[in-house]
Amino acid sequence: MTTYTVYKEQLPELFATWSRQYALYVPAKLREGFYDLVPWKQDLEIAWEFDVAYNSPKRFLLPPKETLITFDRETYEAAPVFDAPPQILFGVHPYDVKAINQLDQLLETGAPDQNYVRRRDATVIMALEPLTVSHTAFWASVGAATVAHGFDLYWTKIGPASFTVEVGSAKGEELLMVVGNILPATPGDKEGARRAQSRILAKARRHGLRYNWEETPRLLSKSWDSPLWRRYSQMCLACGSCNIVCPTCYCFDIREEADDALKKGVRNRYWDGCMLESFAKVAGNHNFRPKAQDRYRHRYFRKGKYIYDKIGELGCVGCGRCVRACTAGIANPLKVFNELWEETAHEY
Amino acid sequence: MNTKPFSPYVPRPITLIEKTQLSDFVTRFTFEQDNGKPLAHKPGQFVNLSVYGVGEAPFSISSPPRRTNVSFEIAIRRIGAVTQALHNLEPGAKVGLRGPYGSSFPVMKFVGKDVLIVAGGLGYIPLRSLLFYQLRHRDEFGRMVLMVGTRDPKERIFVDEIAELAASGDVEVLETVDMPDNTWKGNVGVITTLMPKVDLDAANTYVAMVGPPIMYRFVIGECRKKGMASDQIFVSLERKMKCGLGKCGHCQINELNTCIDGPVFCYTDIEAYQEAI
Repeated sequence: MTTYTVYKEQLPELFATWSRQYALYVPAKLREGFYDLVPWKQDLEIAWEFDVAYNSPKRFLLPPKETLITFDRETYEAAPVFDAPPQILFGVHPYDVKAINQLDQLLETGAPDQNYVRRRDATVIMALEPLTVSHTAFWASVGAATVAHGFDLYWTKIGPASFTVEVGSAKGEELLMVVGNILPATPGDKEGARRAQSRILAKARRHGLRYNWEETPRLLSKSWDSPLWRRYSQMCLACGSCNIVCPTCYCFDIREEADDALKKGVRNRYWDGCMLESFAKVAGNHNFRPKAQDRYRHRYFRKGKYIYDKIGELGCVGCGRCVRACTAGIANPLKVFNELWEETAHEY
Repeated sequence: MNTKPFSPYVPRPITLIEKTQLSDFVTRFTFEQDNGKPLAHKPGQFVNLSVYGVGEAPFSISSPPRRTNVSFEIAIRRIGAVTQALHNLEPGAKVGLRGPYGSSFPVMKFVGKDVLIVAGGLGYIPLRSLLFYQLRHRDEFGRMVLMVGTRDPKERIFVDEIAELAASGDVEVLETVDMPDNTWKGNVGVITTLMPKVDLDAANTYVAMVGPPIMYRFVIGECRKKGMASDQIFVSLERKMKCGLGKCGHCQINELNTCIDGPVFCYTDIEAYQEAI
């Protein structure tokens, strides 16, 4: 894989050039300890040290509200609506790239979701090696510390003013070359990147699963009747915050609006959440997951087993966002999986 | 080359041809696709119907597949926003359709075998597609037994049709209601009370059942008592659905998507799933 070295002084020109063709998002500090990807503008200070963007990048690919079709109530003609603005997501941590790779697999299989596919195709992912680890994160223990694909460029900060940039796609390389004076990384720079990566990995490994993540589906298959589900879920507010911030949650609702004259309208999809009380409720009010316990358990089974059974990876990338977002303090995949491990360890 | 962009979320127009009231809350709708083609569904599959401005919802198809006839039937209970809007339509009105979607009853497995069809409440609606498909090829199947259970006589649907079936001799029909009124002369009790009334050649019988969620475990229990194995039992399950494409997450039964893995399941494939029955 080709790797280049880029210096901080080259960034303003790169960003300015990109922002003329793309909506460019970069990490910034919103307040102390609170970061997000925001639209780039001249002189914006980039938060190189950010631990986690509080809102996951899924919103750029699967917006909270997205129009799917327009319809005409008189002719009953309907047409698809696609909104896929060219965009660059700069500073996506590897665990979030992993989450995007999962969305790619899940939304593009079977009948591909054309709205997602088009947005994804119009998106450039510039991954960034983290410099710090959020205190709620555990990505190094769920196989999400590194990604082999899914990025166009992979940035690693190797010094106060220098980066290595590994090329993941021709599109990425072309974007890097727009300023014309970017040189291949020296062996020393590549070594610097390897060191930076092992430094952060060592930090990230301090906090994690107490077992090999690949055991998770097996341990869940023994844990359907665990008392843990009730113990935690009895405090669940069914607010769906864990679903909203999760980079791999993609469930959605579909609703529509007609114009004032009731002639034409649009059908939209909105983020939905399996923790919400009405998620599995059908007409006539039968609810297939009536209790918080049913919904809470379903979410962890989905992250720890169902997704794994489909694609061979955990549906949880260990970003720790749900842990921070949960008002009741019960959303915590690390704690849940570790406790279930303790409960079932004697069976191994 | 057709350059019209494709999206699986775009319905195509169909037209309401006829409406027949079946009970206080249930109406049979006959539709035709505006593209002039037959729906090309299989028994047990469903479609998503749209009333623009109100919404979209999934419905089982209640007519059998027809090679040439472009019309198809859907019986619908008036119970929510979309079903109320459908009931407000008059013949000539347009509706949007996506599908057909999902799995179907494995009719070819049933060839040469006896078939027991167990319909609880509105469960007759999807099973009717299977029943009449088999009746069109009646000589390919062995005994056909139909059990129909309804909460009370007022809620019975397709009453004349079921009486005609019984009179025809092609199908052995057993009916029951949970709560009789003074007009009801037949069996009283839940649908499982009909099971002891028929002698089945257990090894040679397939069962297809659709009904309210509570019904399945009891009817499956009765099938077990008669000596039937899980792979002889087929169920169609209801879940909340939005996309019909295995994406939106609403219809999950553990890790299965009811919309693409179901709605028709062989019991063997779901008995290990805690959320199924």
